Amino acid sequence: MVNPIYLFVIALAAGFLLSLIDKAGRSAALTVFYAALAAMAGISAQAFIAILGGAESAMIFTAGFKPPFSINLQMGLEESFFTMIVNVLGLLSGIYLVKKLKTEKVYALVLYLMMIMGLNGLIMTRDLFNLFVFLEITSIATYSLIGIERNIRSLSAGFKYMIAGGLASMFFLIGTIYLYRFTGVLHLDSMAEALDLASGPAVVLAVFTLLISVLIELKPFPANGWALDVYEAADDGLVAVIASASSAAMLFVLYKITPLLNGTLLLAVAGIGLTTFVLSNLMGLMQHSPKRLLGYSSIGQIGLIMGVYALLVHSGAASEPMTLLLVAGGLFINHFIAKAGLFWLAGLVGKDSLEGWHVLRKKPVLVFMFGVFILALVGLPPFPGFFAKWQLVMVFSEKGLTLATVLVLLGSFLEAAYLFRWLGKVLKTEGEGEVKTSFAQGLPLTLSALALIGLGAGFSLWIPGGSGLKILYLPMLLAAALFLLDFLPAWVKNTLVILLMSLYAWQLLPGLEGYRFLFGIIFLAGGVLLLIPGYAFKGKRRGFYPFAVMMYAGLAALLISESTLQLFAAWEIMTLGSYFLIIRGKRSEPHALSYMLFSIGGAFVMLMGLGLLYGVNGQSLALTSLETLTQSAGVIFLLIMLGFLTKIASMGLHIWLPGAHGEAETDVSPMVSAILLKAGMFGLIVLMSAIRRPMIGNVDITYWMSWLGAITVFLGNLLAIYQEDAKRLLAYSSVGNLGYVLFGLSMMTHMGWLTSIAFALNHFLFKALLFLAIGGVVMRVKTKNMYEMGGLIKRMPVSFISVLIGIIALSGVPPLSGYAGKWLTFNILLEKGWYLQGLVLIIGGLIAFLYCFRLIYAVFLGQLKDNHRRVKEAPLPVLIPQIILMIAIMFFSAYPGLVLHPVGDFLLKYFPQGAISWQNNTALTAYGHWDGLAVLIITGVMFASVFALLLITNRKAQKVGQFNIVYAAERPSRPELTHVGYNFFAHYRKALGIFSRPFAVKFWDGVSEFAHSAADLFRKIYSGNGQTYLVHIILFVVVVYAFVTGG
Amino acid sequence: MTLITILGFILIVIGIWGMLSQSNIIKIIIGFSIVDTGIHLVMVSIGYLKDRTAPILDETVGKAEALARVVDPVPSALVLTAIVIGLAVTALMLAYAVKLHEMKGSLDIHDLKELKW
Amino acid sequence: MGFEPIKILYSLLSLFIIFNIGMLINGITRKIGARVGRRHGIRFYQPYIDLVKNYALRSNITHGIMFYLGPVFRLTGGIGVYLFVPAIYGSEYFGNFSFAGDLVLITYFIFFGTLGMALGAGEGGHPYSAIGISRGLAQVTAAEIPLVIAFLGAAIQYQSLSVTEMVALQQGGIQNWTLVTNPLLTAVALIAYLGTMMRSPFDIVLAPQEIPIGPPTEYHSTFLGVLQTNRAIFPMAKTVLFMNVFFGGATNWGVLILKVFLIYMWSVFVGVVFPRFRVDHSIRWFYKYALPLGLVALAATSLLIK
Repeated sequence: MVNPIYLFVIALAAGFLLSLIDKAGRSAALTVFYAALAAMAGISAQAFIAILGGAESAMIFTAGFKPPFSINLQMGLEESFFTMIVNVLGLLSGIYLVKKLKTEKVYALVLYLMMIMGLNGLIMTRDLFNLFVFLEITSIATYSLIGIERNIRSLSAGFKYMIAGGLASMFFLIGTIYLYRFTGVLHLDSMAEALDLASGPAVVLAVFTLLISVLIELKPFPANGWALDVYEAADDGLVAVIASASSAAMLFVLYKITPLLNGTLLLAVAGIGLTTFVLSNLMGLMQHSPKRLLGYSSIGQIGLIMGVYALLVHSGAASEPMTLLLVAGGLFINHFIAKAGLFWLAGLVGKDSLEGWHVLRKKPVLVFMFGVFILALVGLPPFPGFFAKWQLVMVFSEKGLTLATVLVLLGSFLEAAYLFRWLGKVLKTEGEGEVKTSFAQGLPLTLSALALIGLGAGFSLWIPGGSGLKILYLPMLLAAALFLLDFLPAWVKNTLVILLMSLYAWQLLPGLEGYRFLFGIIFLAGGVLLLIPGYAFKGKRRGFYPFAVMMYAGLAALLISESTLQLFAAWEIMTLGSYFLIIRGKRSEPHALSYMLFSIGGAFVMLMGLGLLYGVNGQSLALTSLETLTQSAGVIFLLIMLGFLTKIASMGLHIWLPGAHGEAETDVSPMVSAILLKAGMFGLIVLMSAIRRPMIGNVDITYWMSWLGAITVFLGNLLAIYQEDAKRLLAYSSVGNLGYVLFGLSMMTHMGWLTSIAFALNHFLFKALLFLAIGGVVMRVKTKNMYEMGGLIKRMPVSFISVLIGIIALSGVPPLSGYAGKWLTFNILLEKGWYLQGLVLIIGGLIAFLYCFRLIYAVFLGQLKDNHRRVKEAPLPVLIPQIILMIAIMFFSAYPGLVLHPVGDFLLKYFPQGAISWQNNTALTAYGHWDGLAVLIITGVMFASVFALLLITNRKAQKVGQFNIVYAAERPSRPELTHVGYNFFAHYRKALGIFSRPFAVKFWDGVSEFAHSAADLFRKIYSGNGQTYLVHIILFVVVVYAFVTGG
Repeated sequence: MTLITILGFILIVIGIWGMLSQSNIIKIIIGFSIVDTGIHLVMVSIGYLKDRTAPILDETVGKAEALARVVDPVPSALVLTAIVIGLAVTALMLAYAVKLHEMKGSLDIHDLKELKW
Repeated sequence: MGFEPIKILYSLLSLFIIFNIGMLINGITRKIGARVGRRHGIRFYQPYIDLVKNYALRSNITHGIMFYLGPVFRLTGGIGVYLFVPAIYGSEYFGNFSFAGDLVLITYFIFFGTLGMALGAGEGGHPYSAIGISRGLAQVTAAEIPLVIAFLGAAIQYQSLSVTEMVALQQGGIQNWTLVTNPLLTAVALIAYLGTMMRSPFDIVLAPQEIPIGPPTEYHSTFLGVLQTNRAIFPMAKTVLFMNVFFGGATNWGVLILKVFLIYMWSVFVGVVFPRFRVDHSIRWFYKYALPLGLVALAATSLLIK
């Protein structure tokens, strides 16, 4: 290991020499500059590797004295890691800044070196006063670098920063000197030994003063206005260092002074950190300037890291180094890299509005990196933040830190809200412009994106239970490969994905049993089927296949999940993939956002439940531990269930669905509707088969689930009839249909679950069919408004037949498969006796007829429009799966027993009582009977006979023209005048009045409005006035002190 | 607590008051300097022990009795460093003030509100 | 209960009988309506004449395949409903095809014809067809509320969904009929019956037909013949179903004809007395009055079986 003192030697020597060398030309100076930075990075990296390999930590003592008499620098594992990342970041940001450094005065180079050196010192020193010195060195260098910018924004921000920093230094000095007075030493380790916080309030005050200074440097709410200004105004390369490296060093200082703190102070740090996290992310909602937004996010994340760290120490969890590393370390490194990357990107884009960032789209690689940074910050897999957050919730739940968990998840949710809004704008905003990149700017970005991916993989290995995540490796690798193959034409990728998915399904399905097999068929076989329409898309279809694979990978992994971690990771991967599929639609941006937010919100609630499970159940990650749950079962059930309910869009949580499914592309709609929704159902089955009697107090949760299911059916179907947009109509219909599924499951009986599965299977078949058929129509007629269509039966007969079969199956009219569910519903009602819910459900089911008719009538019947006279039938790749699905529906209608019988058999495992008995093809229950094949044959024969009769008596029927009708003594000549399509069920709206109002939408709009108003209110404290910021700092100190002393 | 310590704190408070009440940047910087001075006084006063001599080992103060007879030298050393740093910061602040005046034509801190919310 | 080929013949016979009952009742009904309006009215066999005339008409036009199939769906629906109902209790041969399904099957099969007809009329491209269908479907969903409640209540009372079983449990005299054992539920059923019979006050659905255009005008000649055939069978099929569930069923054709006639007259008498509702009114009416009454009946029924 190289003597770490060279870190300082090199920096100082280069710093002194630079002014001289610069005389020989800037390139020479830059060479020395980069050489110095590289050497520093190299030394610290080498030290890190050496110490990791078992080498002793290096100690540096000044003047040969031992501490406490000398100033002591230490290079241990932690120090070497932190100096390494700081130096590497310094080097990368230096490279990023090369253009600027070429033209600036040479002092900029010197100052930059000093800043990095100061950070190294901050990290390595063990002496409190020396810490102050390095702090000042860093600060002065930073102030000066900010001041070099010749614009007023930068200067005024820098000045505010100096005032705040000055105040922080004041506290630091006073704290230091009094600690010295009480302990007689300045050496941190000796001081920690000598310090006795119980000896009096003055000692506490001294420690407090020191701590508060460190805290102010960590930018707590509300004493952080100056920092926001700096983030917004300073140069991007520099801000990357300030936001990531300086914060890293300061966090490390907090880590170093931790031994001086007592429980109250730690709690204070935790409270400050988490408050800052939640509030600054709240305020982030109102930001429109990218860099200020990143500022809010940075401040929040640093608050999160210090809050979480303090709680880990306080709760004793930090005594397990791995926990500290995974949780605090994970959050830290995740933010460290992602935030630097985003600031660098901000420099590249150079736009002052979030919308302006669409220019990234010209360079897919940059969009990819942007996505990586954003997703990492939000904490989605496969990035380190995800694993850190997971482990955090587990550990916090185990320690009973519920409030903190809630705050962390709340803050994360708010952050996700504005970050995903931003991502959506980048992906969807239209406009001109391009980003110019250079190698020097591309390199740091590429490396940081790769580092995030690599670390994500690493964390997935290190995390407890992480070995189970192997099930996701192969599919994720495939997704990654598809990113690289994105230049291929769509049909090649489509074939590739179909082949690989079929192969995967072939491997996976035989190993599954029971309901998992059934869902496997829906997820994977259904997935392959719905990939076929992809052949209808020309060009490259960039960014479709990686995410499609991701979604299916998540779905497949759900099937074989055995641990809560696997389940949750698969869940998030699936959500992520589907988000990117959904946002592909032309007008999908707001809907994809709302999909993502509901998903994330649901996932967080679920995570709370999983954490609670981990806590009360002996830290077991096994899904089977749900079964042996003895306490808190009801609460855990409720929390996890809420997560799944968001996915199946139960009433109240459904508002994301219509837009997300309705605006998606032709083949995406059926994927997310027919297949993806079933993931939520799968989750519910996993949950409910484990916890059979979920009670909170005396309340049986399943009873209320049944009500929710019934109301969902009723309102979902009711809202569907008012839609003018064909795809939204289908989307609302999905809401309603998943209500049946929920209702059936909530029965907790054999037949109830069978009903649910019958509905689910049927929904899969007909909804895929309908969305494909309508999607095909929309592709041809270029509108989704039904009243703009009409008469298309003559142009698109196959699509018409699809829709006809689809709506008959949907409505539950015999003889097609939908009837299975209806029949079973009556049976379970008689069995269970929940008549009222059942009634709401059945009435809701009847309303489905209205939209079924409207869909087929307004699109295919009535009057053909002039501009549609030449439309062609939907493309063949869209028709093929429809034909397959129609055959499947017919088969399921004729032989329901072939599916429901085996399903019933495996349900016996969970519910041995109340099974259906089968006599050949006749289903028998205690109440009724049904023979699907007989009904089909009888209906068919009757139909054929009547048809024959009509043909015989009416063989010379003459086909007439479109306008061969007369009404009110008019002969119409325009289809628009005679096609009744708009506001088709006006009378129903009038009759039902109150039920037709969008309460849920209003409610969530209100929530969003409230959050934004609150955000706007809070952020007004940052008036821009330096003196106000000073007042904030002083108030902050006073309030925290009042808290710490309890007075 | 000695008189000097109290005096130091009074100076700190005065300085902060100045920073808060004066809108002129130069005056704010002066306030900052006063705070700095106050801190230095406090630091020195901590190290000072009554009736002791300077911490210099020579004929009058032998090695053996040094511990009992000299004042604590460390705070004085710290103060020296702190003064140097304070000077640097003050100088930098003034440089900022000059630049701000050049660009904005004003030294009023209320005029520096380009960035907010 | 199983399938034997000979049943087809008996079913056809059964169908023929019910068709004639329907035709005659239709004629009589119109006579009654006329007399209430102080008119002389038609001959009671007039429907037969109309039917023959319509089947014999030669001018035929069609707007397309779905238009053509609309009446087919309609009549299939009507026949189907009848064939899934066991007409004569205890008769091995007039039990029709009830082995294929139970009360639920019939309840949902009612929609088969409605939906198909709606589609056919839709292709005609006539705006009034669309208006009529939109009203019709809307009102049907509301009228089904008491219907579902009534059937569900009966199923609860008899703990069975099988119509045959329900009739079996009502044998042995009027005191065992649902009418007597559960009058509240029967009241709900009678309200539902009004709603499904498309007679006043719930016949706004047919209004577009009365402006002398709309589906029956679009559907003329043979098509209209098919529809008329259905109008004879379909109401009778539903009436037979109500008779089975609430009025003790029938063990022979005589009882069946009597009961069917009386039940049908209920809708006729109400119809000639009350004026028609607008469709938003009728929907509201079902939600406001039929639904609460139904809930009370349901509650009473669940108490009854305890």
